[in-house]
Amino acid sequence: MQTAIKVEQLSKSYGNLLAVDKISLSVKCGTVYGLLGANGAGKSTTIECILGTKRADSGTVSVLGFNPQKDRRRLFQNVGVQFQENDYQPEIKVSELCDETACLYEAPADWRKLCEQFGIGGKVDNAVKNLSGGERQRLFIVLALIPNPELVFLDELTTGLDAKARRDVWKILSELKDNGLTIFLTSHFMDEVEALCDEICILKKGKAVFYGTVEQAKKASGCEKFEDAYLALSGEVVEE
Amino acid sequence: MKSFVTLLKNELKLNIRNMNMVIFAVIMPLVVLVILGFIYGTKPAADGTAYSFLEQSFGALCCISICAGGLMGLPLVVSEYRERKILKRFQVTPVSPAKLLTVEFAIYVIYCVVSMLTLFLVAMLFWKIKIHGSLLLFLGSWLLTMVSTLSIGLLVGGIAKNMKSASVIACILYFPMLIFSGTTLPFEVMPVAMQKIISIFPMTQGIQLMKATFLGLPTENVLLPVVVMGAVILICFGISVKCFKWE
Repeated sequence: MQTAIKVEQLSKSYGNLLAVDKISLSVKCGTVYGLLGANGAGKSTTIECILGTKRADSGTVSVLGFNPQKDRRRLFQNVGVQFQENDYQPEIKVSELCDETACLYEAPADWRKLCEQFGIGGKVDNAVKNLSGGERQRLFIVLALIPNPELVFLDELTTGLDAKARRDVWKILSELKDNGLTIFLTSHFMDEVEALCDEICILKKGKAVFYGTVEQAKKASGCEKFEDAYLALSGEVVEE
Repeated sequence: MKSFVTLLKNELKLNIRNMNMVIFAVIMPLVVLVILGFIYGTKPAADGTAYSFLEQSFGALCCISICAGGLMGLPLVVSEYRERKILKRFQVTPVSPAKLLTVEFAIYVIYCVVSMLTLFLVAMLFWKIKIHGSLLLFLGSWLLTMVSTLSIGLLVGGIAKNMKSASVIACILYFPMLIFSGTTLPFEVMPVAMQKIISIFPMTQGIQLMKATFLGLPTENVLLPVVVMGAVILICFGISVKCFKWE
């Protein structure tokens, strides 16, 4: 099986704060990889170093065989990204944002179809700022899928979505995975991680404290429920 | 090329929806023209001159939109896109910085063209202005003035830390150029010492050149303004692409 992302000994600090400390991970093509951890554990910094939008202090990153900083323009033909914080031009409409994104790629997906799939097909003529939080979140997943990517990064993909919308998104992502898409995600919802992820990595204060599958996490921590396993492994103390 | 056209179309739509530039770069110059037209009509610029006051002012009027676009619009839109992390979204797509900057640049070129054409049409219809010099040379000097001023704006937008500092720098450049370069106050009435200082503004050079080519006056020193503006264009473009920051 081919490797989509290979990270070795990645470190990044902001001033005195060591945000990411010697993380190594490897994501196989066609799988879903989950990066977990509390707020501030270093998830977003790790993603940004992998994408090349932040420069790592040390370590190597290879994405689809490319160096993300040197080969940026070739790499992002085949990679879609949804950032945790998204912004858009103040007065832009959904259709314009999709159109503007699609025009950057050699072989983009049909964004109208994607909008339909994600339940915002009726909103394409609305201004993005007038969408509800959940609709906007789905729009940014659509934008990440417009490149027809081999690999997609989704940072906190279902934050702000209601239960039904979350299930819908899971279903679509599972189908895309069956068609060969590799997904790298972060999430705070353990049911989502359990439903989607083949492999996970748990971060704690910038260090990787667990690598493996959901089942292995349960076994390693001795917990029956994955959420308990996650809390035990990430060292979060819960007051009973 | 297809992506350039799509980006330009979308970004232009957004820019027009915002209305700021429509007002400052298209409507405002027309208002100034109409006021001057009502005051001076077809009167000659001075006793015995073959050209009218409006004809003498035409180059300066064209500079209002160039100033508005290059020193307010362009730097602010680029720094706003950076501050709002819109550029960061573009960073994870295959688009090149040069293409994005060129798209934004082209939008303000379009405003300047529209402003120049509407000014000329209105002034021609109501106050019968005509070009005494050479149309081609006038267009050449207009183009040089516009591109050099816009490239200063591109540089400011490209290197300003955030929108606030971009807007401060834009104001520092915009108002002195608008007032002192001869856009509003005639260059000729200023003290010689001041004339020397403001000659370094590309806009001052541009207005003098436009005036001379529009009126058919002898241009003694064409080389200097062309060199000044050409250097400004090269330096600003080079730095803004080279030092481009996504966030």
